[in-house]
Amino acid sequence: MNNYILSKKLFRNELSTFYSFLIGFIIALFVGSLILLIQDKNPIDVFSLMLKLSVGSINSLSNSLNKAIPLILAGLGISIINSVRLWNIGAEGQIFMGALALNFFYINTSIQNSALYIFLLLTASFIGGSICILIPALTKVLFGVNEIITTLLTNYIVFGLTIYLINGVWKDPASLNFPAAAYVSELVYLPIIVGKLSSGFLICIIFTLLAFYIKDKSVFGYEMRIAGGSELTAIYAGISAKQKAFLAMLIGGGFAGLAGGIELLSQTHRVSTGISQGFGYTAIIVAAITGMRPLGIFLVGCLFGALTIGGSVIQTIGVSSYIAEIIQATTLFGALVAQFFFSYEIKKKVENG
Amino acid sequence: MVDIQFIGLLNATLQAATLLFIAALGELITEKSGILNLGVEGMISIGAVSGFIAAINTGSLFFAIIIGVLSASVFASIHAFVTVVLKQDQTVSGLILTILGLSLSSLIGKKYVGKKLDVKLESIVNIAEPDSILDIFLSQNIIFYLGILLMVATAYVLKRTMFGRRLEAIGEDLKSSDSMGLKIAKTQFIATCVGGAFAGLSGVYLTLSYVPYWTDGMTAGRGWIALALVIFGGWKPYRTAFGALLFGFLEALGPRLQTYGFEMSPYIVKITPYIITILVLILLTIFKNGDTGAPRNIGIPFFRENR
Repeated sequence: MNNYILSKKLFRNELSTFYSFLIGFIIALFVGSLILLIQDKNPIDVFSLMLKLSVGSINSLSNSLNKAIPLILAGLGISIINSVRLWNIGAEGQIFMGALALNFFYINTSIQNSALYIFLLLTASFIGGSICILIPALTKVLFGVNEIITTLLTNYIVFGLTIYLINGVWKDPASLNFPAAAYVSELVYLPIIVGKLSSGFLICIIFTLLAFYIKDKSVFGYEMRIAGGSELTAIYAGISAKQKAFLAMLIGGGFAGLAGGIELLSQTHRVSTGISQGFGYTAIIVAAITGMRPLGIFLVGCLFGALTIGGSVIQTIGVSSYIAEIIQATTLFGALVAQFFFSYEIKKKVENG
Repeated sequence: MVDIQFIGLLNATLQAATLLFIAALGELITEKSGILNLGVEGMISIGAVSGFIAAINTGSLFFAIIIGVLSASVFASIHAFVTVVLKQDQTVSGLILTILGLSLSSLIGKKYVGKKLDVKLESIVNIAEPDSILDIFLSQNIIFYLGILLMVATAYVLKRTMFGRRLEAIGEDLKSSDSMGLKIAKTQFIATCVGGAFAGLSGVYLTLSYVPYWTDGMTAGRGWIALALVIFGGWKPYRTAFGALLFGFLEALGPRLQTYGFEMSPYIVKITPYIITILVLILLTIFKNGDTGAPRNIGIPFFRENR
């Protein structure tokens, strides 16, 4: 062992993140197969059924893409916040808060049948997401409070608030066993593009490009990177690192909030605990696995959306839907292992002389 | 004679505190070595489900504790492998450990949801109607005392033994530790697995005593509160124990507020521990002016440059 040394590669393959993802995905499918075999299920049967029911027809494909919307938007939010080297573990709560804010705006205004009104509703959800991350953001930049823990804990708080509202003031008397708020009017439903695909997917494409522009092309994105990189450099460049971090967090939270708004207007049509099924957590995997790149988040988001749909349909043949989650998490672990071999090389020690 | 409500409150406080404290103590050891493991929630969940399954299938509590502790420790070794051996990002790896742990334990535990335990961790000294503070302390189960023992042992090992001093040195200064010839990778790997074992013990306490049954998501963010506790305790075992008692008290107080004459929605009561954790964390950071006493090298992978 001592005859070998580890050395950091000077240059990394530009596509290393992509290759790592592929390798990770293969490892994850392998692990998933093992788990299925233990449960006496044929992996090939299960996976081909998942594939068929998630992308096999226009309807199933559009279901998959609809599921991808919250994953992508929340993932983009996480990646924007990561530009300043901060973590947003609170996307799950922000998604709920987005839906709550939308509903709050909805019940306190008169319903209009116009695109502008829907735009205002979605804006409310964006602001809701920003409000949700306001306290973690303020305390981070003012006092340096650990944002990982504060954003995570807000998830539990917002979820509790949701349950409080749908069991109390917002409770729809018609929802007996499954407490939920009243349905919104059909006038504010997001229109369908094709099959079952919601026009929320178009918003999602626009925001992917927007996030790409903000992160990689705008002055603000450049300043965020400097602010996140080194405090001293930021001071030399005359950039207020705290201001950039604060703005990045509000924008990122807003992206996740918007995801909740779209989910309400296109899928659940009311506030319930079903607004998010762990999308905010899966979004962390999506963002991390792509190295926080917006276009990558879009593609992996679509794939993971299909996986989630595939996971939920195989329950009908007695396979747990958790298989999909395990595959998603294992993909990232596999990708981390592969990343090691792209970043380091193991060399034989050369004797001096 | 003490007020019966107070007895109940104290008992619940000790139980909630035990659960939080053991997991926090494990994370403290891991973080002392410079490894941040955000997977506490996942590790507790793995320990909880595997301990529960072992208890159902074997009927042996001793065996259940061993299985719960071991499986969480093995699970933590994934994090150790990825961050110590492969030097990958500790935040990412820890987060995924939580996500994987929660989904994996849901998968394993699916058949056991709603099942009842025939055996339960009983108190060592059997007191039918505890009516004094001493009785409450005596009527806890073995994991409570184990927690106290681990607290004293951890404080001793960290401060008074070579292993503990080396562990702390590695967490504070990787380069100097390396030039002193300390085995960094080995120590960090062990510290991470020990952290997992402690989280597993806390998980076993959850399913064999605190609740006691198994259902999805029953860890309910306790792993994250444990992480906050480590910060609260300034990476010191005794102070962390004090923090655990404080948080345990608040968790126990919530459902009892009504009996003390406070009208509060049960849904709001449920979220108070999280609100309080955030508030405490904020106040603490302001009070300490940002310097929380964290190991200096936490989160930084060790890489020996070519020489």
